[in-house]
Amino acid sequence: MDTEQQSQQTQAGSEFEREPVPKNALLGFKSFIGMYAGEHCAGTELMIGPLFVASGVSAFDLVMGLIVGNALAVLSWIFLCAPIATRRRLTLYYQLEKICGRRLVTVYNLANGVMFCFLAGAMVTVSATAVGVLFNFKMPGLNDLYPNSIGWVIAVAVVGGLIAIVAACGYQTVAKFANVAAPWMVLVFLVFGFVGIRQFIEATGTEISSLGDVWGLAKTQIWKGGAPLAGQVKFTFWHVTFFAWFCNIAMHIGMSDLSVFRFANKSWYAVASSAGMYVGHFMAWISASILYAYQLHQDPSNTDVLPGPLAYRAAGLVGLLCVIIAGWTTANPTIYRAGLAFQALAPKSSRFKVTLITGAIATVAGMFPAIAMKLLGFVALYGLILMPMGAVIFVDFWLIRKFGLQSSYADLSGKTFNWAAGLAWFVTLATAWVLVKFAGVQIFFVSLPCWFVAALLYIVLSKFYQKKVRPAVAE
Amino acid sequence: MRPILQIISLLALIALTLPSIILLAGRLELNTVKWIMLVATAVWFVAAAPWMWKDKAK
Repeated sequence: MDTEQQSQQTQAGSEFEREPVPKNALLGFKSFIGMYAGEHCAGTELMIGPLFVASGVSAFDLVMGLIVGNALAVLSWIFLCAPIATRRRLTLYYQLEKICGRRLVTVYNLANGVMFCFLAGAMVTVSATAVGVLFNFKMPGLNDLYPNSIGWVIAVAVVGGLIAIVAACGYQTVAKFANVAAPWMVLVFLVFGFVGIRQFIEATGTEISSLGDVWGLAKTQIWKGGAPLAGQVKFTFWHVTFFAWFCNIAMHIGMSDLSVFRFANKSWYAVASSAGMYVGHFMAWISASILYAYQLHQDPSNTDVLPGPLAYRAAGLVGLLCVIIAGWTTANPTIYRAGLAFQALAPKSSRFKVTLITGAIATVAGMFPAIAMKLLGFVALYGLILMPMGAVIFVDFWLIRKFGLQSSYADLSGKTFNWAAGLAWFVTLATAWVLVKFAGVQIFFVSLPCWFVAALLYIVLSKFYQKKVRPAVAE
Repeated sequence: MRPILQIISLLALIALTLPSIILLAGRLELNTVKWIMLVATAVWFVAAAPWMWKDKAK
């Protein structure tokens, strides 16, 4: 997940929040490679990889699904997000404000902030599992929804509390530390994979003399397919593909990364996102899933998805350190950014206090393992909620004039709540809910049809809205 | 000083990864790998922090 990146957007954005990025502030291609490669290798990768295994994924479905899904994600950055970013060179929020109006952006901020709080909670959960290895208290199981021991509650409270205080006091320092840790962390993830494969070779007595043998081991021992574990959804090729494509939908199709690529000289710089996808969402997920598959191989009754113990068995203290740092360096900016989103609701409130309160909410959320253990579904939901605004921006930039309508209508009319955009968002979410609840469409797939629903609704509703609400100059 | 620290950082990353590749080939014990990784981690943070921190501050 790339929440750190988002906070860096905020930092970068503070320079040109309400104006296009000037030419002399543009960044080179290399800056984007480093940014994406490091920041998509986060604490939550240690949950997602194992959850694939718990979902009964097969080797072919996992590997091919990740290759295709990540490619689609990269293409979404290249063809949907970056072209608008490099033409307008505005932050997501300023662009949204021009289209939707300040009040609707505030609602968007609130939704964003709430989702970030829960995501940060999952990251705190990941870090706390490393503390569990050190202090040996009872930790939550795969299907636990509530905290199951005092030790767990105390560990999450301490870890989350520290992260919240640091986020409120010294966010910049942690961001710099995260940059130093990133190359090391990526390689520790790679080591997890190597160690996991070796453990499988030894445990199964497989003779390896070619890549074909490794693939045979992967198919028959690591990702065997079959039924998912109790309480999990069965994952096929399509699930993996759509999950890999849409887990960052808020950033590419949802246009959150407009704030990043407005600094890019050319729109093709979005190719750099492939570094993040194939390091974090391919290698890291596969490595983490091997560790969990090995745990199941050793003891099929031990279905707990606990990154701390998994990493400790593979890499000892370095593994534990990786879990703590991965969780901490990603939860920290997530909490900071959620705080910023909430602060937009009450601009006069102290950022320190808001970040602390946000951290406290994330910490309480982290005590409930439901979010981390259901992370696949939560990530899909998070993307779905923010995605419709990306469709609105896409239509507003490329299509709306072709229908005889005005772009950036809130800016033009002086309205603070563009009901066409607002209704397009809310009705799309309602449609998604109906599709999931009554039509049996799984949440992993619903974002694709709903993008078209949002785009169509925005055009149709704008027809009515722009007729009724005239620009001030035209009155 | 900076080039020296960069070389040491690079060597630390190699020391972090290489043992696990040798382990994969079945020529090293996991415990040994863990110890080497721990030392390599300490070296990485000590050597990389001064120049990477400055890089980002620019």
